[in-house]
Amino acid sequence: MSDALDVTRRHAIGSLAAGLAAAGLFDLEAEQHVHAAAQQEKAKGAYQAKFFVPHQFDTLGRLAELIVPADEASGSARDAGAPEFIDLLCSQSARLGAIFTGGLAWLDAEMRRRHGKAFLQASAAQQTSLLDALVAAERAERVRRGETQAYERSPAYRAFRDYATARVSDLLPGVLFFDWARKLTVDAFYTSPLGVKDLDFRGNRAYARYEVPLEAVEYALARLPNLD
Amino acid sequence: MFAQSSKSQESYDVVVIGSGAGGGTAVHVLTAKGIRCALLEAGPMLDVAMEFKEHQWPHQVDHRGAEEGGAFYFGQGKPFGYFNTTSGGWQLEGEPYTVGEGSQFLWFRSRILGGRTNHYGRMSFRFSDYDFQPYSRDGLGWDWPVTYEDVAPYYGKAEAFIGVTGSKEGLRSAPDGVFEDPPPPKVHELLIQKACRKLGIPCIPNRRAVLTKPRRGRPACHYCGQCGRGCVTASNYSSSQVQVFPAMQTGKLTVFDLAMAREITTDGSGKATGVIYIDKRTRQERWLRARVVILAASACESARLLLNSKTREFPNGVANGSGLVGRYLMDTVGFSLSGYIPALEGMPHYDTDGYGGAHLYMPWWLWDEHHKLDFPRGYHIEIGGGYGMPMVGSFHAAAREHGYGAAMKRRIRQEYGCRVGFAGRGEMIPNQNSYCEIDPQAVDQWGIPVLRFHFQWSDHEWKQARHMEKAFTEIIETMGGKVTGLSAAQRESGGISVPGSIIHEVGTVRMSAHPRTGVLNGYCQAHEVKNLFVMDGGCFVSNPDKNPTLTINALAWRGCDYLAEEMRKGNV
Repeated sequence: MSDALDVTRRHAIGSLAAGLAAAGLFDLEAEQHVHAAAQQEKAKGAYQAKFFVPHQFDTLGRLAELIVPADEASGSARDAGAPEFIDLLCSQSARLGAIFTGGLAWLDAEMRRRHGKAFLQASAAQQTSLLDALVAAERAERVRRGETQAYERSPAYRAFRDYATARVSDLLPGVLFFDWARKLTVDAFYTSPLGVKDLDFRGNRAYARYEVPLEAVEYALARLPNLD
Repeated sequence: MFAQSSKSQESYDVVVIGSGAGGGTAVHVLTAKGIRCALLEAGPMLDVAMEFKEHQWPHQVDHRGAEEGGAFYFGQGKPFGYFNTTSGGWQLEGEPYTVGEGSQFLWFRSRILGGRTNHYGRMSFRFSDYDFQPYSRDGLGWDWPVTYEDVAPYYGKAEAFIGVTGSKEGLRSAPDGVFEDPPPPKVHELLIQKACRKLGIPCIPNRRAVLTKPRRGRPACHYCGQCGRGCVTASNYSSSQVQVFPAMQTGKLTVFDLAMAREITTDGSGKATGVIYIDKRTRQERWLRARVVILAASACESARLLLNSKTREFPNGVANGSGLVGRYLMDTVGFSLSGYIPALEGMPHYDTDGYGGAHLYMPWWLWDEHHKLDFPRGYHIEIGGGYGMPMVGSFHAAAREHGYGAAMKRRIRQEYGCRVGFAGRGEMIPNQNSYCEIDPQAVDQWGIPVLRFHFQWSDHEWKQARHMEKAFTEIIETMGGKVTGLSAAQRESGGISVPGSIIHEVGTVRMSAHPRTGVLNGYCQAHEVKNLFVMDGGCFVSNPDKNPTLTINALAWRGCDYLAEEMRKGNV
């Protein structure tokens, strides 16, 4: 009886898993191949920007590399398709498009003011020095607002763009734009197969039985403060 | 008079309005007894293949879940995210509601077969014995006209039918039920459990409406953790898949989808005769006649229907001689806090999806120590944590914290899965300032007058939320963690949930022992109209710290058993 149940259950799960695998839903490796193919196509210059002109698109690509760079674990946000993702959404929303065209233009203007060239033409050190200045201005603003933690839940922070009305730094337009660029770039990276692998996310799979590895249990329990 | 404007005059034994937990249970129980039912749903028929986005990766859609034009980034995406199967929201185009000056209220409505049961949290807790007699215990609110002993057999029937996990614990605040085997605790939950043991807080296997063994053609859970997207294998409970679809197969049920109920008709001698609805496809009004009318449209929608059904006999709305329809609206007290737990850093990763919610929870633990507290009643605690699927928005806060570049990327990797979250879900005391009424000025696109909400938390709720804050902080710090979820700056706005936002709105058509103090008797039957029943959260007299769905299932089941017997005897 219990055997029969088990077989039925295995069968149900088996067909489910087979169905899902057939649909390509549960095979991250396969996704990686598809993704690699897309990358190759992109490398051949196949992607046609829908919204940005080439200079803007390339600047976004450089920003994506700076925000989430390639490292020993995985590729960059540019590899993960961040510029394409931003281009697609901007092509569908005048509001978002204006944020990015305006922000990219600000970035070039600020770099020209500092070093006499567009962001893309500046040296890597000059680029990171500008981004560092933006992050520093952002942090100063956060401290000024008394939001030292968990600001993401705060309605005030959600309306981050409104900070411009209480401007304390000339860099604030850049801070606001960089927050947008970073949000979308980070999203594009971590939702991509590259990002999923970088984080070592193991879920979105089907099992007949759910198990928690003892190794993980022991690791974490050993690191808890002594509660006895 | 309405018959003249109606194209059709079908007649049924019972017409049920609304296909969520109450309506689904009603059609399941009644059709099984051979009673011919019509079911009205204001949204479309559920097409699981079209509607449920289970197992999809964000990168399988070109907008990654940010939706067209990045609507998500402007706060205009689907509630709870693109992949969830909400089929409705806080606002519905063409079907507005209003909020009175000085109040705040959010009303979540789903418009699809199965309603909110397609995506809800599936937390399935029995009320405690004391939850049915709150007034007798502390002098606040009102007692129910039913006791735990009356309802317990129906909790058992509902649990056995829909499938609820759990374990026998013998806790008075969380009575044991008929349980499926629970899945094993995840690592962060074991840490929380250990801290709770130190603090004297029970932390026990969760009680959720998910099958962990196959039953009646429903396969067991496959642990993808995506219950909120709708379950393609129907391994969790949704009224659509578990009750309505099977009831349709009996041949005793006719479903009218895209049918917006407008008013209950009566015969002038205290009996309901049917319902007038608008067919959304044709915008035509139609009249369905029935021997019995069951409202299960959700607490506020059912109140709205009664208030909008005015006759000479019922000038304040059908069955509203008490004047209490719409009154004593309650939501659950919500408060959340998260923390960062260094003990989890560097742990070998594993799949923490599990069965779509926490595998443990903390029931209320101070039920006999109220003399030590500055608020009445109690709350339970729900747990969050684990290595969640990366979604749009998942790392915005971390990215802001860490700036950009290689260091940010490393920190995000390091911190991934090291956060835990606690959500308190507590009991609100019904009060006079919280109610819904018909807005005298506004109608929806179907010409139906809309609801206007009024809502105030009282000190009882605020103090309870502060107790939650203290308790969650203690748990986090006992684990060696650091609170990350609430800063002083957001205390004012984030210190208690926005009314309605927990989506546990109940109490607008409440039961009572006497017709003077309520609308329904203990069987969900209107005191004044014997063939009219309300089988959704509207019938609640209080809103204990137990998520309402299982109690809606149980009370509807009990009401239907009673109704069938009354029909057999010819009393209805």
